Amino acid sequence: MAAKIETETLTGDINIPSIQPGATAHYKSNPAKEDHNKFLGFPGARVENWREAAVEHMGELLGKYKSLRVFMDICVRCGSCADKCHYYIGTRDPNNMPVARQELMRKVYRKYFTPAGKLLPDSLTGASELTEAVMTEWYSYFHQCSQCRRCSVYCPYGIDTAEVSMAAREIMDHVGIGQKYCNEILGKVLKVGNNLGIEPHALKNTLEFVEEDVKEVTGADVRYPMDEKGADVLLVAPSADFFSTPHIEGFTGYGKVFHEAGVSWTVSSYASEFANFGMFIGNYDTMKKVAQRIRDAALDLGVKRIVVGECGHAWRVGYSFWNTLIGPFDFLDPKYPAPQHICEFTLDLIRRDGLKLDKSANDEFTVTFHDSCNVARGSRMGDMPGGQFEVPREIIKAVCNKYVEMDQNTIREFTYCCGGGGGLLTDELMDLRVKGVLPRANALKEVMDRHGVNTMAMICAICKAQFTKVLPNYGIPMETVASLHQLVSNAVVLGGKIGV
Amino acid sequence: MAFDLNGVTYETDEDGYLVNLDQWNKDVAQYLATQEGLDMTDAHWEVVDFLREYYDEYKIAPMIRILTKAIGQKLGKEKGNTKYLYDLYPGGPAKQACKIAGLPKPTGCV
Amino acid sequence: MGGLSALSILFAAMFYAAAAALFFGFLSKIYQFAATPSPLKIPTAPAPTTALGAAGRVAGEVLFFTSLFKGNKWTWLGGYVFHVALALVLLRHLRYFLQPTPKLVELAGPPGVWAGIIMTAALVYLWIRRKAVDRAAYISLLADYFALGLIALIGVTGLVMKFVIRTDVAAVKSFIIGLVTFSPVEMPADPMFMLHLLLVMALMVYFPFSKLLHAGGVFFSPTRAQVDDCRERRHVNPWA
Repeated sequence: MAAKIETETLTGDINIPSIQPGATAHYKSNPAKEDHNKFLGFPGARVENWREAAVEHMGELLGKYKSLRVFMDICVRCGSCADKCHYYIGTRDPNNMPVARQELMRKVYRKYFTPAGKLLPDSLTGASELTEAVMTEWYSYFHQCSQCRRCSVYCPYGIDTAEVSMAAREIMDHVGIGQKYCNEILGKVLKVGNNLGIEPHALKNTLEFVEEDVKEVTGADVRYPMDEKGADVLLVAPSADFFSTPHIEGFTGYGKVFHEAGVSWTVSSYASEFANFGMFIGNYDTMKKVAQRIRDAALDLGVKRIVVGECGHAWRVGYSFWNTLIGPFDFLDPKYPAPQHICEFTLDLIRRDGLKLDKSANDEFTVTFHDSCNVARGSRMGDMPGGQFEVPREIIKAVCNKYVEMDQNTIREFTYCCGGGGGLLTDELMDLRVKGVLPRANALKEVMDRHGVNTMAMICAICKAQFTKVLPNYGIPMETVASLHQLVSNAVVLGGKIGV
Repeated sequence: MAFDLNGVTYETDEDGYLVNLDQWNKDVAQYLATQEGLDMTDAHWEVVDFLREYYDEYKIAPMIRILTKAIGQKLGKEKGNTKYLYDLYPGGPAKQACKIAGLPKPTGCV
Repeated sequence: MGGLSALSILFAAMFYAAAAALFFGFLSKIYQFAATPSPLKIPTAPAPTTALGAAGRVAGEVLFFTSLFKGNKWTWLGGYVFHVALALVLLRHLRYFLQPTPKLVELAGPPGVWAGIIMTAALVYLWIRRKAVDRAAYISLLADYFALGLIALIGVTGLVMKFVIRTDVAAVKSFIIGLVTFSPVEMPADPMFMLHLLLVMALMVYFPFSKLLHAGGVFFSPTRAQVDDCRERRHVNPWA
């Protein structure tokens, strides 16, 4: 076992630390293996002319992404973002200030793509060649960004570091410098259908287990079907829902909601993954390929709707990108949004009085809600801007009696990342992950102490895995972490109003 | 990375998981457990045995809930929970126990 | 241009060169920003669901610096005061470019002088902020101090002409009008004015090659300008 990671004591306040240059320069995610890279169409190992190839690819991306093009030019380094990143707050490393992270790329941009950078000495322009040392910085610090977009909320020009870190990772992959965690997983989802590599017969076994378990506990015959042609709904959940706790408790809840709605549904063994790490590595084609499996499965099964489970970044991909990547969804029933979030589905049913709920089933819990970063700042639910905040809260309040909000500066669009998003949920970055959770842990600690909160509900598989793993480092028990649909699952009275 | 045990070389990945799963035997498990600072008791072995049995059939580690339920059925209901598993394997039943059982490291949002 | 002194010819030539650099440099960057495709919808949520709403959001950034206000009140204060003062100063300076002077520009005269003082003070404040806050000091480049210093010097030379070594404004105006009507006349032999004009020309050239591009770029920032209608209307990626 690795040595226990040193943690700050939680005070309930979020303090902005003074800078400590180089504090996390040694963090390094494991590099991808040759076959991981090659499978995705990247060079197996770093190519010989990597500098030229990287600069050339950067030029290509500048021509393809307005975001990158504009963001490289217009930052004034005002520092509004500087103290907003959870990794800066947790690690104190100034390169974890969003603006400084962007500057790692911008200094290279200036050298090769601006007249001043080409003509004048670097000491005047702040430009830098793409040296070995710069590449080392890139690999380290662009894998210390969870692409949570909190910085972009506070930027006067909306500069989004996520776009920059995605581009940086795409450039690195392009020259054969891949990250193992993301690239290995992308291989699995493209070969097997999910990030964990669960094969169909194993998935079937898991679903049968859930079915039996629900039967045992409730006596009701709630179905958890797989590959059923002609079902109304294709449910696409993050595969962690088939593996981890509390993920599975949420998944169990989805099934109960469908059961009560009287809607036939199915999981697909071909597209048994909602997560799409193609976004994390900034590779458009890979992201499209991962998403394409879901379109193909929906067509193959002949469903009328696609409903998706609790997964933060995937909801961003699903809500914001799917229509572009794999749309149009003209083969689905136009009465329903495509895709539809399980929270939208559940709330709609609750509002139509289609669920019989026993709030007291959750009386042992005093609940708060953690807005997952990609849902909060990269998507929407319902018809109104901000529906992504209101829809989950309305559900929680319908199924629980005791609900408390965390500090205003740490929720909704100002929410802090769990510290494990963006392709960083890997063991070798545990130090970073433990430090990155600091602001959220403090905000949680405050409502635990002041209001007796003992449950933090959420709708993201990464958040759930990250929190259960790192919060115990701060003395917060892992049982605090809950799936939102776990609370729904607890409260649903089965057989109450089927098909209303 | 690799380690030698009883004259045989065992290759592992960066996180210490066996690369060649067929090489696993009880001595290897014992060795890996020691590396993790664990004292293997019968209860630990129960978990390892179940993981290997499940893996043989499904080529994947079982869902945690399946594992807890199986352990509960075998060792008594009071032990059929996540807390008990974490007491046995503080590094997590999915990751630490899989390592000792010679299963590949679970990937994804876990 | 017969009869003009060499110095006047030199300044006129430099002025046209600087104006061309600003105009074409800025325009080509704006064209580049506009022409680069947006493969995906990436507005920072919650985002407006209509084009009008998105326009309002960008207008809020441009007119009130709304996001900066959320981010840091002290930086917002310095930055906002500077930009409003700069706008007033520029409005006041239109008196040298327009004949006759429009009523609005005339009205901007007296507050424009105050604005010059406030603008320069704000720049000093922003400079000190960069030095005093450890995070800001870490991220500040020479270019950041250069931009602050250049504009501050322009402010100081302007204020010197107003309050210390009064310049012949009538001569300045006829020189400027001559330049903008492409019939240059003799420039006033006033060293302070020459310095002021030199610095302004330096700024004009610097503008399109620097972070000052934020002035045009903000309108093209996809996270602010895009409409959130991802599910309702299919956004097509032009290169995929």
